[in-house]
Amino acid sequence: MAPYPSVFKDETKLDISYVPYKLPHRDRELRLLMEFFGFLLRVPDKMTQRIIITGDVGTGKTVLSQRFGANVIREANRQGINLRYIHVNCREYRGSLFLIVHHVVSIFHPNFPRRGYSAEELLNILLQILDDQKTHIILTLDEFESLVERENSEAVYKLTRLQEIRLNKPQRISLICILRNLKVIEKLDASTRSTLQSNIIHLKRYLKQQLVDILNNRVLVAFKHLTVPEDTVSLTAELAFSENGNARFGIELLWRAGKYADAENSGMVTPECVRKAASSIYAVTRKSDLASLRIHEKMFLLGIARFFEQCEKAYASLTETEQAYAVVCEEFDVQPHSHTQLWKYLRTLSALGIVKTEVSGTGSRGRSTIISLPRVSAYELEKELSLLLQKEKP
Amino acid sequence: MNVEDVLSSRLRMKILKILMQVGELNVSKIARRLGANYTTTDKHLKVLEDEGMIKRKLFGRIRLYRLNESSPKTQAVQNLITVWEHANKQHTTNSW
Repeated sequence: MAPYPSVFKDETKLDISYVPYKLPHRDRELRLLMEFFGFLLRVPDKMTQRIIITGDVGTGKTVLSQRFGANVIREANRQGINLRYIHVNCREYRGSLFLIVHHVVSIFHPNFPRRGYSAEELLNILLQILDDQKTHIILTLDEFESLVERENSEAVYKLTRLQEIRLNKPQRISLICILRNLKVIEKLDASTRSTLQSNIIHLKRYLKQQLVDILNNRVLVAFKHLTVPEDTVSLTAELAFSENGNARFGIELLWRAGKYADAENSGMVTPECVRKAASSIYAVTRKSDLASLRIHEKMFLLGIARFFEQCEKAYASLTETEQAYAVVCEEFDVQPHSHTQLWKYLRTLSALGIVKTEVSGTGSRGRSTIISLPRVSAYELEKELSLLLQKEKP
Repeated sequence: MNVEDVLSSRLRMKILKILMQVGELNVSKIARRLGANYTTTDKHLKVLEDEGMIKRKLFGRIRLYRLNESSPKTQAVQNLITVWEHANKQHTTNSW
């Protein structure tokens, strides 16, 4: 059989460093940033801005800032204003103000020596360079927590106040501080806090449908046409949602699922690829959990696993899994348990985190339970359960 | 200074070559690349600066040197070095 070509069109679009042109569900925040920095395009010398962006992991803090950076620079270039956007991850520089400022200076002077002066002197040097080049910068301090933890108030104060004490000189450095939790700011003394905490943009966790939109946008640019079914996107979004609405997690999961699809030459990123990818990231369902299940719980779960293995769907109805369970019972030559009993088993399996249940919205035929296997590969689960059931066979 | 006085120094020629390669450096780093001490390096840098062949930029205590690209003398030496090194490469290839 001839191998399928890769499912990817351009997998770099799933890389953490990729900044999409459009940010679904972050347009309001993007506009807000442009408003906050609007003066830089009108009266660049007169004032600077300080913004704090907060939000949990994967809520789009970094990408929002980078998209804003690209947009504002494009606009500044159009208007002939010397403006640069510099994004620094403070953790990469061990939260050291000196190393962070040195990095910024070396963008202008690549061989700038590393020794022989203090962080404060280096900040003055940076201002001198910016004055010489008549340039303004928007400096984004990502993972700002590590700077606060290492340097405390003094360094942050220097960073914010140094240019303010330069009399009759143009303002040069605007700041965007990115952090997960505002509590970190409480560690700073009152005067430092007051220099920072003026404009705060808080990014809420993405909802499942928002994650679906984000993933669909990435699928369009990263995967070949018709290689990622709707169910796959939905399952990935579901998993990302259960990880605190972490879009980054979802995007990475999608990439990993694509890799599984390529490895298996399937030409299609199926929900099973996502489950395999997820189980390679999460701690796989513990074998002891499976072993402790009662025999009919195991058989019901085996039915669910076989259903997902065979049909390449992400979701199953209770009726569909009941039918699969009935086939397993026939195979083991036992009488199937009742619908009510299966409902209880489903609750146990759900409580153990092996399956996920959800009540579908009201349709023409009322509400029904939807079952998915979010975190474990159906194939692996089937293998493990078959082994356990063989041992228990009367 | 006369051309022979400026260019007869091996260290001064090396300084020009280093700045051609890396663009900009402080005195300590130039000295390290030359394998010379700070004072000697500083002396040669001063000669080249007086001739207008290199430029100095001060940042507090830090002095960064770069070639003065607009100086005809610097342009002439840059040309000389480029042609010379290209010819050397060709000579090595031909002798194979």
